[in-house]
Amino acid sequence: MRLHVRHLRTRLTLWYVAMLAALLILAWGSTCALLFFQLRNQLDRFAIEEIETVEGLFFFTPEGHLEMREDYHNHPQSKDVIDRFVEVRSPEGAVLFRNQRLGARSLGGVPFASEGVGGYSERSAHLSDGTRVRLVSRLHSLDGRRLLIRLAHSEEPLYSGMEDWLAASLLVLPLVLAAAGLAGYALARRALSPIERMARRAQEITPEKLHARLPDDGADDELGQLARVFNDTLARLEQAFDQLRRFTSDASHELRTPLAMIRSVGEVGLQKDGGRAEYRDIVGSMLEEVNRLTSLIDNLLTISRADSGYIQLHRTVVPVMALAREAAGLLEVLMEEKSLRLVLEGDGQAQVAVDRLFLRQALVNILHNAVKYSPPGETISVRVRNGDAGQVIVEIQDNGPGIPLEDQARVFDRFYRVDKARWRESGGAGLGLSIAKWAVEAHGGSIRLESPPNHGCTFRLALG
Amino acid sequence: MPTGPFPSYKGSVHILVVEDEQKMAKALQEGLEADDYSVRLAHTGEEGFYLIQAQSFDLVILDVMLPGHDGFEILATLRRRNVQTPVLLLTSRDAIEDRVRGLDTGADDYLVKPFAFPELLARTRVLLRRGKPDVSQRLKLADLEMDVPQRSVVRGPHQIDLTAREFDLLEYLFANKGRVVSREMLARDIWKETARQTPIDNVIDAQIVRLRRKLDGQFDRKLLHTVRGVGFVLREEDES
Repeated sequence: MRLHVRHLRTRLTLWYVAMLAALLILAWGSTCALLFFQLRNQLDRFAIEEIETVEGLFFFTPEGHLEMREDYHNHPQSKDVIDRFVEVRSPEGAVLFRNQRLGARSLGGVPFASEGVGGYSERSAHLSDGTRVRLVSRLHSLDGRRLLIRLAHSEEPLYSGMEDWLAASLLVLPLVLAAAGLAGYALARRALSPIERMARRAQEITPEKLHARLPDDGADDELGQLARVFNDTLARLEQAFDQLRRFTSDASHELRTPLAMIRSVGEVGLQKDGGRAEYRDIVGSMLEEVNRLTSLIDNLLTISRADSGYIQLHRTVVPVMALAREAAGLLEVLMEEKSLRLVLEGDGQAQVAVDRLFLRQALVNILHNAVKYSPPGETISVRVRNGDAGQVIVEIQDNGPGIPLEDQARVFDRFYRVDKARWRESGGAGLGLSIAKWAVEAHGGSIRLESPPNHGCTFRLALG
Repeated sequence: MPTGPFPSYKGSVHILVVEDEQKMAKALQEGLEADDYSVRLAHTGEEGFYLIQAQSFDLVILDVMLPGHDGFEILATLRRRNVQTPVLLLTSRDAIEDRVRGLDTGADDYLVKPFAFPELLARTRVLLRRGKPDVSQRLKLADLEMDVPQRSVVRGPHQIDLTAREFDLLEYLFANKGRVVSREMLARDIWKETARQTPIDNVIDAQIVRLRRKLDGQFDRKLLHTVRGVGFVLREEDES
């Protein structure tokens, strides 16, 4: 966990440095290019200006040689400052003049077709010794002869300046990046340190120590929210674990009861010297407990599957009244035995999309509960009606003794029985209502119990 | 348990039971033999597989949880080799996926442990006489007579009025005359309840009580008996 945080920190820093480097290189590159072209432009302008100057300085000697007057300087040493290269050729390419600085080197070679015609031709060229120059040409007439005047300045200072700057930048850029990286790393570390603290704390939370929570300073930032979300999850987990622990311990107790009976009946039976009929009875009694165990385990399996979200609902549109009638029909014989009267009333058209089997099971379980607790001769009524927002409401009411207020909250708890002593004769393990509640809630519905004193119980199911 | 390569069989119907739990295997063997089947036991899947290859059986009762190759694997191999002997799977898991897997693999039926023994016998009978159901029109036991098409029941000189459900129940008991039927069998076959966790046992008990009242109430000779912890049986004499 901590290693991962460190990785994140490094990753952040690397990203940051890489992006900074890219931006710096882009800015630096474009600045260089801009500067370079501006300076070269300037060279071109100088060259053009100088061509203008130089044009007037040429003259033909009586021998027919082309010369250039260079005696216009006030100070002779000024001549040395001028670093221009000048070459004059005839349009055919014969060299007519090269200034002193150029010496014997060729400037620009053989003229191309339109060189210097109607303005200035600018280009980069190499002297024959490799010196890079910026060259401007201009066609000029003197004494009826056409002259191609070429004037150039060396580009070498421009390039060497650029190279110096590149060298300096290469030296400085890594330093800048390193400094930025360090700063970024420190920043990332600072920003991530609360997460690291949370991670350390979270690591200490085990199933046994689920009550622990992450530090939450109440801040409304992302980390505060993270801590709160995590803590909420922990709270739900803790609740689920508690429920599971209670369920496991309750289930063990419930399983123990029939086991204890099997054991006692078997042991006592073996000690007796009974006849065939008596042994049959003993084995039968043990088998009854086995059946009870089996159905208890079946119920537990259903619950555990429901808990694990393993059960899939197959929804179909079901007419609720018909389903209630069917559920009641299953228990009809029990009602007749107790002379109970069943009243079904309400909207026979109401229907809802549910898993038929599970809703039926819920209805059977609740009705069975009503049958068990109704005194003989009483009435059980089932009312179906349409509720708000497309819901269907089913109310199942009995006129039994009702459930005391202090127990009402717990009737849907697993293994809960109002009358602990009576359960064996009525055959329930206290799971029926909790299964009904699960089945209804799995459909997104709700189930409520109302039991005002002396008015029996009403279970109200809201479906759909 | 027969040990030699040529065991002597009592009956003419041969059943192979592949079950690794000794107690369970012994109980299955004794229970099936009491119903006049010849039973051969195998304690591992490999042994069972070998036996099926070596001799012919009318039915194989195959436990899923076996050491080594489990029941599903044995069954799949058998079906791949085109062995068509009916197979009844015994499984301790009743997740729908397991049932589907069993039937997909080629099982003819499955039974979830713990099962009621009468249920096993009933399924065995169904698998063995598959395709030839015996439908009797007039059923008779002592002075009790049942005319299925006419839906009438007479005991001695007395006409007995039954509800539809009671009639179905009695017909089912008649079909299993002399054999115990369990509550699970009644729940599935008469009430069509598939979920084992409905409070159906109370309903069945109450229904039986009412049927018995009508059937045996005014007669000395009782025909419908409860076998405690197992189920109900229709027969002339109470054995206990």
